[in-house]
Amino acid sequence: MAIEITKEYEKIETEGKFVVEAHIPEITFNAIGKRGIRRLDGYEKATGAAKYTRDVQLIDMLCAKILDSPYPHARIKKMDTSKAETLPGVRAIVRYDDLEVKGVLLTGSYFGRSRDPAIAGGAGIKPICPLLGDEAWYEGQPLGVVVAADDEDIAKEALRLIDIEWEELPFVLDQEEALKPGAPILRPNAENNILPSSATIKRGDVEKGFKEADKIIEFKARRNAHLWAGAEPTSVVAAWRGEVLQIWVHQQRPYHARMKLAEFLNIPQNKITMYSLYQGGSFGERCNPGAYSENGINILATMLAKKTGKPVKLLYDRRENFWGESGDIMVSYFKVGAKKDGTITAVQMKNVFAVDMCTNGVDHFIENTKIPNLLVEDLVVDVNKGPAWWCRCEQLPNTLCFTLVFDHVAAELGLDPTEVALKNDGCEGHGLEHLSEYKRKHGYPDRDSLKECIEAGKKAIDWEEKWHKPGTKRLPNGRMHGIAFTWTHEWDDVRGTGSAAVLIESDGSVSVIAQQSDVGVNPWTAYCQIVADELGIRYEDVNIKPFDLDHGFALMSPDGSCCLVSNGIVVRKAAAKAKRMLLEKAAKTFRVKPEELDMKEGIIFVKADPTKKRLLKNIVERTLPSFDSCFEFTEPPIIAWAWHTQGIWGDAMETDRPRLCRQAHFMEVEVDTETGQIEVTRVVNVNDVGKAISPESVEGQQYGGTYMGVGRALAEEIVWDPRTGVRLNADLLNYKYATLLDCGPIDPIYLETGMGHGPYGTVGVAEDAATVIPALLGPAVYSAIGKWIDEYPITPDKVLKALGKI
Amino acid sequence: MAVATKKKAAPVSEAVVKFVLNGERYELSVQSNWTLRDVLHGKLGFTGAKEFCDRGACGACTTIVNGRPVLSCMTLAIECDGKTIESVEGIAKANHPLIEAYVMNHCMQCGYCTPGFVVTAKALLDKNPKPTEEDVKEALAGNLCRCGTYPRHIVAVLEASKKL
Repeated sequence: MAIEITKEYEKIETEGKFVVEAHIPEITFNAIGKRGIRRLDGYEKATGAAKYTRDVQLIDMLCAKILDSPYPHARIKKMDTSKAETLPGVRAIVRYDDLEVKGVLLTGSYFGRSRDPAIAGGAGIKPICPLLGDEAWYEGQPLGVVVAADDEDIAKEALRLIDIEWEELPFVLDQEEALKPGAPILRPNAENNILPSSATIKRGDVEKGFKEADKIIEFKARRNAHLWAGAEPTSVVAAWRGEVLQIWVHQQRPYHARMKLAEFLNIPQNKITMYSLYQGGSFGERCNPGAYSENGINILATMLAKKTGKPVKLLYDRRENFWGESGDIMVSYFKVGAKKDGTITAVQMKNVFAVDMCTNGVDHFIENTKIPNLLVEDLVVDVNKGPAWWCRCEQLPNTLCFTLVFDHVAAELGLDPTEVALKNDGCEGHGLEHLSEYKRKHGYPDRDSLKECIEAGKKAIDWEEKWHKPGTKRLPNGRMHGIAFTWTHEWDDVRGTGSAAVLIESDGSVSVIAQQSDVGVNPWTAYCQIVADELGIRYEDVNIKPFDLDHGFALMSPDGSCCLVSNGIVVRKAAAKAKRMLLEKAAKTFRVKPEELDMKEGIIFVKADPTKKRLLKNIVERTLPSFDSCFEFTEPPIIAWAWHTQGIWGDAMETDRPRLCRQAHFMEVEVDTETGQIEVTRVVNVNDVGKAISPESVEGQQYGGTYMGVGRALAEEIVWDPRTGVRLNADLLNYKYATLLDCGPIDPIYLETGMGHGPYGTVGVAEDAATVIPALLGPAVYSAIGKWIDEYPITPDKVLKALGKI
Repeated sequence: MAVATKKKAAPVSEAVVKFVLNGERYELSVQSNWTLRDVLHGKLGFTGAKEFCDRGACGACTTIVNGRPVLSCMTLAIECDGKTIESVEGIAKANHPLIEAYVMNHCMQCGYCTPGFVVTAKALLDKNPKPTEEDVKEALAGNLCRCGTYPRHIVAVLEASKKL
């Protein structure tokens, strides 16, 4: 029997490539955009039934703990594990000098050790570190020894019984101190502490821009360390079932984790069953496949499970979960040139980052302004602090620099900051007319997103009535009133690849088949809404059970700052393909051509004569993936899969994907000039989301992100003891993030201009408020007291200092 | 590499406790250092009592003991002898209106802290079936949510109170 080769691969590849065009809906929205849709994960989460990696318990499961360095910089000279080895209940101990780990480094890229970082688009592992080394570069670093025991208490006791002789080494905590002559050099054979990721980015000629300016504004800012502090502490559970490894990971990117683990331990990928259950918070912490807490621990847990023949749960406690910090620990020096009318002619920055930088500080000036002259020098400096990484989100340096530059310019010129924003809106040095041309060329609506966002926000907060000169408005309660504005573009539509299948079950219900790590943004509901509307069935009849990577298909979690915008296209395509298959099949029953049919609410009908109709389930009732006897009435299943890759790295104009949607944020504060206390009394977020698939989910990200942002702005800071280099507040009692009482009313307003690159014109929303809001507190406090406090978090002592009271 | 010899763990002082959990009677032997959360989550499989801060800072493991919301990570199991305990699973089983109100008002994002909020809110409604907005805020102020779902909890609790 000859098998016809259909070029299916080429078809899928071509279909899956991102094409620059407006995503104009071709279907009737029913579930999409509707309020009151019951969220898929809601009942499980409200009732405690939702299971997270931390909750996994297997019969005979052991607990594993890794030693943490008590010093910020030290080397293990000698280790005696004999007492721990004889502690009852200890089942295995692996030491740094054991053959299986000695000299083993975690290297390579996100995709595995053999795949070069260059091939991985720069997604190389940072920092490269030993699987179980003998030298610590920060206090709390896992190293030296891992113990598996019958329970957590015994494992901890075993670690306490290990005698270690340490050689303490000099350390440095501040990045500017680390640049001074005489500072300890942290990496072997290095001449200084400047790391290779340092970079200089230049556009135009800033000196020319400064000459054209009416005013030169210079200032310095600082952001102190903060971190994710997600709700669920880190754990991994590994269990061998014969030759197959079962592993439960708390990770946004389990598919990368599996690739890495497979290569590292030489296990074929098809012999790893990986589960990614609900994720108790992530915010970027759980999307760094290079991080020790996601990569090293998987390897160690797997090794220990093999060694002991039992399931092993390796877990971090809350203090250990404070293993790193956001990649925006920075000191920044600004020089800005502006004309009297608010036109910015040049921006020059020098940013000195500690440990790593997650973005360069200048991207947003490039991506959504027409400022022609830009120069940023980014120095990345090694210090004795944990790895720095994306932290909802990697744009933090960009939004901080952007907000501070625009608000300082407006303040110096005495202009309304909303006018300064409108004056400079654009893309890569071009004005709005350039974007209009792009929109016309590709079929997008041509709307002035920023203008619309500002108008909506001004109205909501009553800007015209409330905006005032800085430090001039004392309220009846004695506090000073401040009000501020910032803006930027929506960046969450950048990139990503995903795949999924849509299966029409033989009862007419529909399954979306793909793994996807939930981080709380209600993505599954949105996929089911899209599939329901694309197919023409009820939302209630669609489901997704995405915990298992064995599905073979995997949708992105928000790991490239992009979730729905890419995944929505995947499921939309898969659903559209499944519908074509379905109608082709139904056409035989109706004895018409497929294009003469359609389906609504699960009823297939002839378009020209809707009285000719059948229930979906009657059409598919014989489509059986399996039947234990052969009858002529069995029919093949209706299943279609799609793959999609969204965009590529590079400048927006180069890759033909300029950001068209904007966002505007407004904040009101009250400052007590006696105590320095700041109350955030109101926040208005206006996001142009292009198209809202799930309105409540959009709003959830707007107010949810605001709370995170307000906490970061007011209080979140990891504090190190300068004498010992030890973290003083690596717990949730002393690392303060926002509670219900820490923010006044938040207005979540969204616009739907249809100008996003995602399905039906969507762009993202979930990273925005948490990232932009922190910086906005500075301008709001300036508005209240007339003094700039450019060091974050803005704590009461800094307010009092600015006021000259301490 | 060293594999330890297999020996039984040294005995720790234990006591038998009896309590009523979600309307069911339990009698079990607990070690003196076990918390109520250890027992609920680790021994009895009521995994709604989450480990979040692990030190009495976040409210995610809140459980109702004799009518009061307590942090089960800060309560020793041995102290619970003779007590009546209610966990989120019991609240769900009783089909309390809070559950549906929570689902429909999107009170969860990652969802890890959600059971703790539900239990805290239930304890409030048990004592004060018609709370004001300020009452709800005061009751929930000790529960941390990293996703920032706070505003919706107020709406949901007030909505549920109308259905009591």
